Amino acid sequence: MKKYRIIIFIAIILSICFSSCQKVIDLELNTSSSQIVIQGNIYDQTGPYTVKISKSVNFDESNVYPAVIGAMVVISDNAGNSDTLTETSSGIYTTSVLQGVPGRTYTLTVKTDGQTYTASATLPDAVEINSIYMEKSRFGNDEQVTIDFTDPANVDNYYRLIEFINNIQQDQFYATSDKLYEGEKISYSFMSQDSDSKLETGDKVTIWLECVDKFVYEYFRTAGSEGGQSASPANPTSNISNGALGYFNACSVRAISIIAK
Amino acid sequence: MIKNSIYFIFIFLLFFDTARAQQQNTINGFIRDAKTGEDLVGATVSIKELSGKGAATNAYGFYSLTLPAGTYELSAQYTGYKPHVEIVKLDQSLKLNFSLQEQAAELDEVVITSTRKDENVTKTQMGLQKFDPKEIKSIPVLFGEKDVLKTIQLLPGIKSAGEGSSGFNVRGGASDQNLILLDEATVYNASHLMGFFSVFNSDAIKDIAVYKGNEPAEYGGRLSSVLDVKMNDGNDKKFGVNGGIGLISSRLTIEGPIIKDRGSFIISARRTYADMFLKLSMDTTLNQAKLYFYDLNAKVNYRINDKNRIFISGYFGKDVLGLGNTFGINWGNGTGTLRWNHLFSDRLFSNTSLIFSNYDYKINVNMGSEMNIISRIQDYALKQDFQLYARSNSTLKFGFTSVYHKIIPGAITASENTSMKSLTNKYAWENSFYISHQYSLSNKISFDYGLRLSIFSLLGPGSFYSYNTEGNTTDTAKYSSGQFVKTYTNIEPRATFNYVINPQSSVKASYARNVQNLHLLSNSTSGNPTDLWIPSSNNVKPEIADQVSLGYYRNFLDNKYEFSIEAYYKDFQNQIDYKNGAELNFNDNVESQILFGDGRAYGLELFLKKKYGRFNGWISYTLSRTERKFNEINNGNYFPAKQDRTHDISIVGIYELSKRWTLSATWVYNTGNAVTFPTGKYEIDGKTMFYYSDRNANRMPAYHRLDIGATWIKKKTDKFESDWTFSLYNAYGHDNPYSITFRDSESDPTKTEAVQTTLFKFVPSFTYNFKF
Repeated sequence: MKKYRIIIFIAIILSICFSSCQKVIDLELNTSSSQIVIQGNIYDQTGPYTVKISKSVNFDESNVYPAVIGAMVVISDNAGNSDTLTETSSGIYTTSVLQGVPGRTYTLTVKTDGQTYTASATLPDAVEINSIYMEKSRFGNDEQVTIDFTDPANVDNYYRLIEFINNIQQDQFYATSDKLYEGEKISYSFMSQDSDSKLETGDKVTIWLECVDKFVYEYFRTAGSEGGQSASPANPTSNISNGALGYFNACSVRAISIIAK
Repeated sequence: MIKNSIYFIFIFLLFFDTARAQQQNTINGFIRDAKTGEDLVGATVSIKELSGKGAATNAYGFYSLTLPAGTYELSAQYTGYKPHVEIVKLDQSLKLNFSLQEQAAELDEVVITSTRKDENVTKTQMGLQKFDPKEIKSIPVLFGEKDVLKTIQLLPGIKSAGEGSSGFNVRGGASDQNLILLDEATVYNASHLMGFFSVFNSDAIKDIAVYKGNEPAEYGGRLSSVLDVKMNDGNDKKFGVNGGIGLISSRLTIEGPIIKDRGSFIISARRTYADMFLKLSMDTTLNQAKLYFYDLNAKVNYRINDKNRIFISGYFGKDVLGLGNTFGINWGNGTGTLRWNHLFSDRLFSNTSLIFSNYDYKINVNMGSEMNIISRIQDYALKQDFQLYARSNSTLKFGFTSVYHKIIPGAITASENTSMKSLTNKYAWENSFYISHQYSLSNKISFDYGLRLSIFSLLGPGSFYSYNTEGNTTDTAKYSSGQFVKTYTNIEPRATFNYVINPQSSVKASYARNVQNLHLLSNSTSGNPTDLWIPSSNNVKPEIADQVSLGYYRNFLDNKYEFSIEAYYKDFQNQIDYKNGAELNFNDNVESQILFGDGRAYGLELFLKKKYGRFNGWISYTLSRTERKFNEINNGNYFPAKQDRTHDISIVGIYELSKRWTLSATWVYNTGNAVTFPTGKYEIDGKTMFYYSDRNANRMPAYHRLDIGATWIKKKTDKFESDWTFSLYNAYGHDNPYSITFRDSESDPTKTEAVQTTLFKFVPSFTYNFKF
């Protein structure tokens, strides 16, 4: 089954029909104290893996996010392995020996400024991508990229998908689960979000299919639906303790590419 | 203790009443429009010899007065009609019907006098706004379609939920806390085209009453208000046609007698054609788009004899939105009411109704294979109401309602096999019993008090889940068809007290408890047709609101000006909000996504109306606060509800320039809704993320708008009338924000920016109306 977003569609139609207009406005926004942001991934592929630690800034500042340096970062698994990460560049912490293995649960511990943040994630079995192809979008005339994969039966699966165009990661979050498609063939389409991400002939599109655990899925599902028409926008539900923003993910990943025609 | 004393007073007054009701004669009958035969609702009969005594007609135009033997001068009155005076010798019970002539629109002087102009002062009910659709004819509106739902939002305490939004908020209530009735049938979604139109076609409507939370005991089921809309019965004297042709919509009404003076019918239909313009678009996506609605009101009634009358009425409407054959969504209400009026005696009026109501939406997706999702809520109801006119100063109302609710949250049909499973259907049985008593102790003091008992039962079949705080299922209980899963019983006391200080002024006080057992889940800013109704259950408790209010009413200059000030305080229990990132769409465990909390709302409402004259209109101002409290949000502190508006002002002016031209204008201003804006930003996987802290700590910019309108009467004879109405919505083109969103700056990618979307600036429209 295809994914569709009714509400977004209605909103689009209505906003076009009623000649709406948009403008940039000046808005006095409240400020907040700087929050810690942790982002870490373990893959079922050979390491090293990295954990990135930074801080939030106020809305009216530049998009420059201060790195958190000198933190103590440890990842351990439930098979008795532990790895203390080294800071390879400011705010980027890298593993040396750890290996991602399906079925294992990984625990991240970050200590900085007298605070401790922890998170756990279990690395699920991989799901293979069957095919990738281009097709005409049902909404409009643009070509869209679609991948097919088969959801394994009798097990709850959660997926995060990432789109790269010419090796640049697109900044849209995609997450889906097999709740409505248990054991089915799933076709997942990537609609171009705006004119910047419109495909041109020769563009290389790469799709990653990550099998993630439930909590990582919840993070990306809530991050993807943030803002917009929600009456109460909120921060994505993080799997990291102590109020840190971001996520800690252990996943199996498969990739596939296509050249746009 | 309080409960017992209420019972006691109640019983005492009843005895007191009957004991004195000896050797009285009853005069009763109907008050109707002389030209059309339409029953006049809320028309009054006053007695010259007994000042302060009198009766008002009920929803079917019926009145009954019980008086000591004697000769009386009775006067029947209704706003906009010439009073009719009869002298009666009441030595036995008798029947007296009044036919009132509509007041011709006299330009030069105020002629509409001697009606009960002081009704707002003398009537016990408070927090009530009533009007006749004819009164609002000249008020300018969006796209020129006069709309009762838009007009009530210009009254104090009733606020639009915002442009492009279907709901309205009454005294801090959410938009699902309004009970909207069309000929007694619940209308679950009162808007067309996302709220730009309402489902109420003004041509088909006779009377509208809005109760702002202190409704009499005969109403119940929602916390904040009742909007009681009654359809026209149809002209039982002669055939008539009226209609209008507008820029994006047209309408037509046909009415006439079935048997002259005994029965009549009315059929009224509307259709919009906004999408005709889309066909002209060059954009291949847009010119395939479908976007329209239509609706139909129909009613027949027949007077079998003096004691029996039957009405059948119905509404059907549909909104259609689609894109070629790929995607379509349609939604709409259907209602049907069969009513039987019966007079058991000259003092006991009875109405029995069989009511059906349906709201559904259907989504159709056709991408190679076809799939349909249908969601539906249906009511089957039996309602029995009695009105006992014990004495001229004492009326007793009692009855019951029994409703069977069937909710189909999402049923899937597909051309190919799909593992998508339909959601579990929900069934509920809601019974309520009420008794209320209107009683005038003297010319100065009157009461209206009563009790409502509501019993709501969630029925099987199905699996019912219990959840822990993380939202995971901890227990599953299976029930078979018809088994009671959970029953909630609530007693809802209601009381209003009126003290008439002098013929120009009065004070009123009231208390009411309301209970709500159906809840609308909606986490979007504007409300969607796909929002889901859920019943109270093992996880969801009934919502409860207690409201106290106090008001002062003063009329000036021979009742030409009407002024009121009302203050209210309302306490809410078991309010609903959502967990962060709640998944409300297509989720069988939707109850695990909900948070429960409390709320409070208080405010002051000022209203000044000039009722008559070439220039008339009103000013309404509301100062209010609405807050919610949830343990899981804002550390359990009170925070402003989305609909919290500090200031809300509406000014309406109508001026009759000449016999042909009427000009009108409305101006509205309100504090922006409470919203959550980011307080910071950070980056995840290269994407700028916004950081949110306190819920609803920010405000949308204030909203203000001027609309102007004009009506030009082209022709007006007894045989044919026609006029043109012109309107300009948002006449000074203010950029009112529909939404504010945040993104990386397009001009400077190292920055972020706030973007405001505005829907309407300068929307002109014109409509040609005719009647013959």
